[in-house]
Amino acid sequence: MLRIVFSLGLLFACIAPAQAQNAAAEDLVRRMAAEVTMQVRKNPEVVNSPSQLAALVDQRLMPRFDFNRITQMAMGRNWPRASGGEQGQVTAEFSKLLVRTYSNALAGLKDLDVQVRDSRSNSAADVTVRTQMIGRAKPVAIDYTLSNATGGWRVYDVTVEGVSLITAYRDEFNGIVGSSGVPGLIAVLKQKNAK
Amino acid sequence: MIRSLRPALLAVSLFAGLGLSSVACAQSPVAHNDPIEPINRGFFAVNEALDTVIFKPVATVWNTVLPQPVRASVSNVFGNLDDVFIGANHLLQGRGKDAMTDFSRVLINSTVGLAGLIDVASTQNLPKGEGDFGQTLGVWGAEPGFYMVLPLLGPSTARDTVGRAARVVSDPRYYLADAWYYSLTGLEFVQIKADNVDNANLIDTSSLDKYAFTRNLYLQRRAAVVQSGREAAGAR
Repeated sequence: MLRIVFSLGLLFACIAPAQAQNAAAEDLVRRMAAEVTMQVRKNPEVVNSPSQLAALVDQRLMPRFDFNRITQMAMGRNWPRASGGEQGQVTAEFSKLLVRTYSNALAGLKDLDVQVRDSRSNSAADVTVRTQMIGRAKPVAIDYTLSNATGGWRVYDVTVEGVSLITAYRDEFNGIVGSSGVPGLIAVLKQKNAK
Repeated sequence: MIRSLRPALLAVSLFAGLGLSSVACAQSPVAHNDPIEPINRGFFAVNEALDTVIFKPVATVWNTVLPQPVRASVSNVFGNLDDVFIGANHLLQGRGKDAMTDFSRVLINSTVGLAGLIDVASTQNLPKGEGDFGQTLGVWGAEPGFYMVLPLLGPSTARDTVGRAARVVSDPRYYLADAWYYSLTGLEFVQIKADNVDNANLIDTSSLDKYAFTRNLYLQRRAAVVQSGREAAGAR
């Protein structure tokens, strides 16, 4: 009897914080989505102006992204091999590229809306929130993976229709670092951002 | 003359798909299975060049000249035909309920939707499904095999190439006269390019090595499609 109570208690102790952390992560994604959709509704022209979109993404979304972690994961095994300075440069340039990618993804959307569907707890302090973005011909499934390991929930991966951005870039980064080293990767990123 | 090309092309792609997939299975599961990368990069470069010189301009003109309802209708007619195949694949995957949705879509869109011109079903809570023979093979347990870039058609895997070939021969269009076959296939091709101009531009701006980026997006996407098929088949 005691054993049952104990295991039930243990089970509850595990579930309760999980639900609380899911709610916190869902909340953040909801807030983020609401801010962007509100801005677009206020000024629908924003989706047709690359500079305004970039500003919107930069101000409303990017503070909620953990760029150090994103870059670290995209670099994978090459991260520890880069010097501190190189790590900083890759992070800075990669963030710029992601802002551009994000702005481009939002360009030309009509009647943008984001609905949070549900979330699942991956581990302690790690949650994936599933959303659906309305605004293209078909709804697009976008999953945000967040962590609050560093205090405060922040996004470290975005999965669009089953395609993880970090995984996509890791393959590319690996190839470039393999052929021309970390300096080569920094050069390619800079070149891309200058275009 | 041209007609005789069709079985030949098909035989080549089937042979490539079947013959080499057994080789591919023996390889260690690396991040990407791309043993013929030099050849793939070659085809990729040719496809990219064709896109830049012919297809993107054509797709852009298409999008500018034709009003949205006309373009949507062209998409819908091909989409309606595709729903038949989606339904068949859902049946093969043991997803009877999803297949019912697909076939109801065909029924409604072919009648109320004026021979498929209007996608009425999507507004009637019958959303378009996702299904193809490559996915079915994956649900049945076939590995994707090695990555390949097909001339004109783009990214594929050994498994998905077999799936594509099966789709081509089971399509009634395949048995039409040359003029019809090539015009319809060409029209669908242009419409698909036109529908995907935005996506193509997005990949252009976000990728560093477009070949590697496209390969990764394709492989991840296909794995997700097969996974969702498996889940739907298990949850039936």
